[in-house]
Amino acid sequence: MLQFLHTKFSEWVSCKRCSERQKGFLAVLFMILMMTGEIFAQEKQVSGIVTDNTGLAMPGINIIIKGTTRGTVTDLRGQFSIKVNPRDTLQVSFIGYRSQEVVSGEKSFLKIRLEEAITQLGETVIIGYGTQKKKLVTGATAQLKGEDLDKRKAVDPLSGMQGITAGVNITRTSGQPGSSYKVRVRGVGTVGNSAPIFIVDGVQTNDISYLNPSDVASIDVLKDAASAAIYGNQGANGVVLITTKSGKPMSGEGTETKYSEVTLDAFTGWQGRAKKIRMLNTEEYVMIMNEQHLNSGGSVGSMPFNTSDLPAYTSAGVANTDWFNEMMSDNAITNDIVLGVNGGSRYSTYSMSLSKSTQEGIVGGSDLSKYDRYNVRINSDHKLFDDILTIGEKVTYSHIDNRGIAVGNQYSNTLRNAYNTSPLMPVYDNNGDFFNSNSTTITDQNGKTYWNSQEVNPYAMMYMTNQSVNNSQKLIGSMYGELKFLKDFTFRSTLGLDYSATETRSFTPIYELSLYAFSKYTKASQKIGKGMNLSFDNLLTYQKRYGNHNITGMAGTSVQKSSGSYLYGENAYLAFDDLDHAWLDNATNTDNAALITLNGAPYTENRIISYFVRGQYNYKETYLFNATFRADGSSMFAKGHQWGYFPSVSAGWVITNEKFMQDITDYLPYLKLRLSWGQVGNCNIDPFQYLAPISFTNASYNFGSTEGVSNNGSYPSRLSNEGLKWETSEQFDIGFDASFFDNRISLNFDYYRKTTKDWLITAPVLATAGTNPPVINGGNVENNGIELVLSYTKNEGAFKYRASINGAYNKNNVTEIPTEDGILHGSTNSLYNNATEFYRAETGHAIGYFWGWETDGIFQNTSEVNSYTSSDGTLIQPNAKPGDLRYVDQNGDGKIDDKDKIDLGDPNPDFIFGFSFSASYKGFDFDFLATGTLGNEIVQSYRNQVDKFANYSTDILDRWHGEGTSTTVPRVTNSNINYKFSDIFVQDGSYLRISNITLGYELTNLIKIKALSSLKVYASVQNLYTFTNYTGMDPDVGYGFVNGATDSFSSGVDLGYYPTPRTILFGVSVKF
Amino acid sequence: MKKILYFFLGSLILFLSSCAKDFLETEPLTSKTDGNYYKTPQEAQDALTGCYDALQLIYSDGVAFPLASEVMSDQCFGGTGYGDSDDYAMLDEFDVSVNSGSQNIYEKNWANYYKGIFRVNSLITHLDGVEWGSQSSLRGTIESEARFLRAYFYFDMVRLWERVPLLTAPTSDNVPQASADETYALIASDLLFAIKNGRTETYSQIATTDYGHANKWAAESLLARVFLFYTGYYGKSDLVGLVSKDEALAYLEDVIANSGHDLVSNYADLWPAASTYEAAQNGLPITSTTYAGETNKEVLFSIKYTYTSDYNGNTDGNHWLVMNGLRKMAWKNSGYGSGWGACTVIPSFYKTWSSTDKRKASSIMAIKEEGINYTQIKDMKEYTGYFTKKYIPLCDENGNSTAEMLGGVSFMISQYQDFFVMRYADVLLMAAELGSPNALGYVNQVRTRAGLDAATSVDKDVIYQERKYEFAFEGIRYWDLLRYDNSLQYASDKLSLSEKVLTGGIEDQKVIQGTIFKTTRGLSQIPGNQITLSGGVYTQNPGW
Repeated sequence: MLQFLHTKFSEWVSCKRCSERQKGFLAVLFMILMMTGEIFAQEKQVSGIVTDNTGLAMPGINIIIKGTTRGTVTDLRGQFSIKVNPRDTLQVSFIGYRSQEVVSGEKSFLKIRLEEAITQLGETVIIGYGTQKKKLVTGATAQLKGEDLDKRKAVDPLSGMQGITAGVNITRTSGQPGSSYKVRVRGVGTVGNSAPIFIVDGVQTNDISYLNPSDVASIDVLKDAASAAIYGNQGANGVVLITTKSGKPMSGEGTETKYSEVTLDAFTGWQGRAKKIRMLNTEEYVMIMNEQHLNSGGSVGSMPFNTSDLPAYTSAGVANTDWFNEMMSDNAITNDIVLGVNGGSRYSTYSMSLSKSTQEGIVGGSDLSKYDRYNVRINSDHKLFDDILTIGEKVTYSHIDNRGIAVGNQYSNTLRNAYNTSPLMPVYDNNGDFFNSNSTTITDQNGKTYWNSQEVNPYAMMYMTNQSVNNSQKLIGSMYGELKFLKDFTFRSTLGLDYSATETRSFTPIYELSLYAFSKYTKASQKIGKGMNLSFDNLLTYQKRYGNHNITGMAGTSVQKSSGSYLYGENAYLAFDDLDHAWLDNATNTDNAALITLNGAPYTENRIISYFVRGQYNYKETYLFNATFRADGSSMFAKGHQWGYFPSVSAGWVITNEKFMQDITDYLPYLKLRLSWGQVGNCNIDPFQYLAPISFTNASYNFGSTEGVSNNGSYPSRLSNEGLKWETSEQFDIGFDASFFDNRISLNFDYYRKTTKDWLITAPVLATAGTNPPVINGGNVENNGIELVLSYTKNEGAFKYRASINGAYNKNNVTEIPTEDGILHGSTNSLYNNATEFYRAETGHAIGYFWGWETDGIFQNTSEVNSYTSSDGTLIQPNAKPGDLRYVDQNGDGKIDDKDKIDLGDPNPDFIFGFSFSASYKGFDFDFLATGTLGNEIVQSYRNQVDKFANYSTDILDRWHGEGTSTTVPRVTNSNINYKFSDIFVQDGSYLRISNITLGYELTNLIKIKALSSLKVYASVQNLYTFTNYTGMDPDVGYGFVNGATDSFSSGVDLGYYPTPRTILFGVSVKF
Repeated sequence: MKKILYFFLGSLILFLSSCAKDFLETEPLTSKTDGNYYKTPQEAQDALTGCYDALQLIYSDGVAFPLASEVMSDQCFGGTGYGDSDDYAMLDEFDVSVNSGSQNIYEKNWANYYKGIFRVNSLITHLDGVEWGSQSSLRGTIESEARFLRAYFYFDMVRLWERVPLLTAPTSDNVPQASADETYALIASDLLFAIKNGRTETYSQIATTDYGHANKWAAESLLARVFLFYTGYYGKSDLVGLVSKDEALAYLEDVIANSGHDLVSNYADLWPAASTYEAAQNGLPITSTTYAGETNKEVLFSIKYTYTSDYNGNTDGNHWLVMNGLRKMAWKNSGYGSGWGACTVIPSFYKTWSSTDKRKASSIMAIKEEGINYTQIKDMKEYTGYFTKKYIPLCDENGNSTAEMLGGVSFMISQYQDFFVMRYADVLLMAAELGSPNALGYVNQVRTRAGLDAATSVDKDVIYQERKYEFAFEGIRYWDLLRYDNSLQYASDKLSLSEKVLTGGIEDQKVIQGTIFKTTRGLSQIPGNQITLSGGVYTQNPGW
């Protein structure tokens, strides 16, 4: 630095344009600097070692001479050396440890042992556009540390977060590698997209699955409106702030003091199914099919199967295919390797990493279901001009290759196909080809072709229809400069970029598997798309202490702009016959326009401009106040409606700082009350909803006499709503943070009431409007809840442990739906072919509740049918037969219809919780995590109930088949008469899952290797066991239907859910 | 330093505030908006095509009008799959208790009709804003075609539901149901406008790329159909004071004399499956069919379909025809493709139809009589041994769906056979019914083509008998029953039926009671969801 200044000085002195006055000023400055250098000479050299309380050396520890900015840092062996004056006090501090002060005196070698800090209150947490001491926070936030996330050994950060942040409900939409999650902060707040926003190092993005968890330093969830209001726009559903790792800032003398660390962490795991579903085998299937036939009025003579002469279509004999087993792949591999380099000096710090993660799917195997991700992260900070200016950048690049099987609705769900196929079909025919049920050449021993030419070989179908590969790239990064001036002011400017590109390619081979499942020609499709989101934030901060008054003021602006485009092409008759060659150039079709698809369009630009201010004040760190105000303008709305204004206020009172509390601070060292209120907004809709667009697609008509040739037409495709405005969420929160008994117990409690109003929804309009309805503002939902986090930490000599439990109760209640009937109807044709509506959002119920008939057991005999009458003697179910379900006539009108359908539960859990325990003893460490939910319902529908030949799971063996044989499972019939939507589809989805158990050992306790500071090995089991009454493979079912932007509120629907695998993994972690 | 900083901050604020002014202004790059559309004649023309597109839309989902008309008639049962819902049986028996809880079977149709009406109304209200320039004559043609389509939509609707909200301009208001007379007045005036301003080319003058446009002749014959239905069903002597019987007849005589349309000489050639069957009967390969094509001289107006439908909302195809096909089986010997087995033909209708009538074999697919080895009986509801033949999917000589071979996405939505709304034969028979001096000649033109002896005299019953066979399964018979007499006694007698059917392979007695039909007056169910959405402004038809 001095050298640098010296050079600069010479340059500036020789500068022709500088005035004489400036030259004089610089000369004085230079002399002062030279003089301070002289003072150092009078001191002596002291060395020492810093260890933790087990005696392990601690590298990278800051040591500062009190009252100065001078200091040093321990080396890899925990040792340091520094010049001090004998009267100087050395301050030794490290995050997570209690700071110590040591007077060097006459000693020349110091042994310093740091005690782990039990309380975390000294820590800072990330808040919007800044950080704050945890003990001064007045809003409701939750922080998850990188090291805790790391313990989960997850492939992506969200699965690592599952169950450990109170009030954040994370469910999977599928267990397939790379599939997305549903993240709900404090309940479902809207019928549209109710996901929170993610902000990674200051850059807003919609998904964080691209991150390797090892790159995360901390995740902070802003749960209440007061915390999130500074992100006014789109913060209505919560804000999740992710900070990636930085190098450690070092303080020391001159440029010589440096610190560096190289880490290597790798694990390999084997994944398998945690539970299986048993479908009927051939013997059971044939029995049930024949019984069904007889129950439906069929005669014994015409039964579908002759049990003594079952059809066999291959030389291997009668097939008994366990389709579920065929689809599953045990020992699917997952592995992860991370190489990291961290370091820093007094002026620059850096942190880099390189990682690769792989996860294979347990359904279909690695050929069809696989996820590979490569990440590069480069973060660094540099202090310039004597710390006046700090600049830095944080950049993460990821490349993802993935392929997957269909996990969607009833028509594109691979596992569901397997559940519905009879065991009589062999996988392969005698030639070793996939079995084709429509083949005229495959016959059984009696010369008959396959008995059900509509049945599709599900394994072959999975193989034929999932020939596709995706790759995507994402670059998220920010550059910032921070300037300190006029002592108390800081100006920070950040330029953020979120760039992503995706490419998908797929191949359809020629195949025939049934009468309806075939492809007569080969086909290829290619899609590429890219998107970019740019943001530019500028913040001015003023921080000042006047005696006991601490004031921080911040004002800022933020500008965001997103854009992108896509291109899609599809053509047929390929010159080659495999996925590798499935490129459009290889398609030979030129004359059949119907087989060619070509489209491309820009993603409409989304722009937001924001102004915000925040004031923070505290008196003696005891009385805390915080207020924010944000104004956001969004291009989503018409002029005059573009701006939304979002205020918040919060206050805290650290009661334990009061004199009257001093007597009990031994038991209760810390207690803070918090109170907050605020409003946040949401503009998450498709663009131009305020206009009535003219559509040119799906508007053609084929005038003339040539087939396939049409004239293009147009029509207004939507009504406009000029008055569309921001959706607002308002939240009130009261809570406290406390620690007891020498800070060994810590407790956080929150009560909140969150009201989301003016939803952006597409409310049904009368069909007479004649076109699609506009998006309107309307509807209210209220979420009330309680969150509790309790932890206990204890050190018994070398044995240290920490137990923590978090729980969140939430009640969701819709208070208004802006339609005549007060209902947003769910989709039909969803549970099985032509099934009726079964979920809805309605005033007075939880969002997405299940709507159907209540059953009251099973009619055991005819007299029960005949005695089931209404008060006036009307037979309620005149057509029922013994073995059929008895439905409750809720309104007593003597018939069973839609008016008798009631709330059969909802998919939103009442209570979500997690329990963790970690302990260490000498070199061993142990981690345990259990998570779960209570009070959520799941709708299970594996069978296509209108296909009488569809297979059943073995649950059907408990069916009614004679008086007294069952009171829960109705008789089997050829039709779906007992499978109109009722509570027999609905199950309790509560569960407790042993999510993770890890045992590690630090090998450097046994063998000292000079180059290594740490060598740790560990073994871990994930998803070991799940306690639940749910009969499916996995109760963590986040799947729901998405029908347009404002019907995405359904959840908890199991149509053949890809389960979360059980994983056993081994890893090693090395530090140099 | 300070100065630099202030300068920097100042310019930043300036930069941001100047940006902010336009920053939030964005515009859609791939769509126009109604604010800047409907300006050029081409845009008006394209908007008209969008109205025609709604013709394909109205029958693409729910229960298509031509299907419902057959299911409700005395010639077909509901049929369909054993596992399917009982919706078709409910329509067939006019009895909501057959499938209680089914309150919305027509909801998609209701909505799609209003989509069509909205498109027409949007176009008509914007016509004044178009800069016509030298193409001012185009305005009348475009408006007349748009109004023809609006009349067509409302005529379907008023027959199905009688009282429907009557919209003549786009609105999202909750409009109450209009009386039948109000709706008929709009239909009549729209058609009169179309007659006055419509295209007047004769059949041979129509450019090959223009087939499918509604012209003066189509409007004249549709107006006659409206006249006959309204005056018959409601027992009136004229069409809401706008069209008299003589005027209606005069329009038909104009079509007969001046349109250039005529009968196709061989009845089977009107129908793809019938002409294929005929070829097969003559020992020829099914490819050597003598099908007259979709734009033959007998067609006055048709809904044009083609195979380019997709699952992304494109409804170019005939989505309803697949319902009529042989359920889940193709019969490649005669080119019959696979379908869903709806509209099973009532056996007594087949049995009482003289086999010398050439139209019989062209209209009905008789399983046993044609030697079809049908294997899916157990999967059928109300199987009778007879399916319809006029509107069914086709397959090629290998049993592959012809729609898919052309490049269609799936036989379920890619059927391409046009729906003949109005044939010249109907013009002849309507003219006879309205008392044309040439009535006997007109009827005998139709009879002779069918291979029957010429009639010696005509009256209403002779004409009804002829219509019953001539237009079987074309969505006409049911409405003829309703209009025979205002008391509905004729229809009620004809509709009372009791016949044996096989459901799931098991014998069942199918009973339809004319008394229940009378409660409904033959009207259909108004979608329950729409009644709810209207907050009770709409009321349900009796019996539903």
